[in-house]
Amino acid sequence: MDSLQTIGFYVSSGVSLAGGLGVALLTRRDQRGVALGVFGLGLAGIYLSLSAGYAAVVALICYAGCALMFASPQYRRVDAVVGPVWRQLGAIGAALLLAVLAYSAFRGDFAYAGYFGGTFGAANLGRLLFAHDALATEAVAVLVTVALAGAAAAWRVRDRTR
Amino acid sequence: MAGPGPDAVSADLVGVLFVAAGLVAAGVFTAAWHRDLTAALAGIPLMFAGAGVAFAGIARFAAAGGPQLLGQEFAMLLAIAATALVALGLGIAGRERSR
Repeated sequence: MDSLQTIGFYVSSGVSLAGGLGVALLTRRDQRGVALGVFGLGLAGIYLSLSAGYAAVVALICYAGCALMFASPQYRRVDAVVGPVWRQLGAIGAALLLAVLAYSAFRGDFAYAGYFGGTFGAANLGRLLFAHDALATEAVAVLVTVALAGAAAAWRVRDRTR
Repeated sequence: MAGPGPDAVSADLVGVLFVAAGLVAAGVFTAAWHRDLTAALAGIPLMFAGAGVAFAGIARFAAAGGPQLLGQEFAMLLAIAATALVALGLGIAGRERSR
């Protein structure tokens, strides 16, 4: 990884983590949508600096869609029934998870290998998706179709009952 | 006599896994902290993104056997699956609005 990629990786990581914290801490839904868009931008930068240009493009499109959905005023607030103690326990659990994951990453003994996949990798990824892992690709396609059809059906029911 | 210069700043697999851990923890924190369940749903793309960064990092630095871009492929599929789950969750929340 050369210096430019390294700088891009660290800057994108900072942008992405700031966007993630914004999603976690901001209260208004339009602000959360913007924060998720910033997060997606940083994530695309991380993928780009890891020589995964095609994954960066896909992630940018997907997270822009997520940001638009979260910024929309069309869904209502659904309150959880858990109390503040459980929420605080969940936050402490997230901190413990971060500590465990960071410790395991720091102590891990990884075997490094050379990388020959190219900077964008669209052709090789296409071969993987449609030749090597066609079943996984079709499973994700079915999941996306079912999810989008279910979401459209749910919104249609809501519009009818207005 | 000039000695060896300072090491150039470089990112390696450990740095990538640190960032991935931060993203996963931010997602778990989002899911646990928000009282609004639709806002808590925003933790799912964050967690999936953390896993995707870890996969892409493995593919970049440590994929020795098998297809080298398998991690990138899995990261891409995770981003698509996260979008589908968010669409479904917010669609159900939109339906609940009329009740």
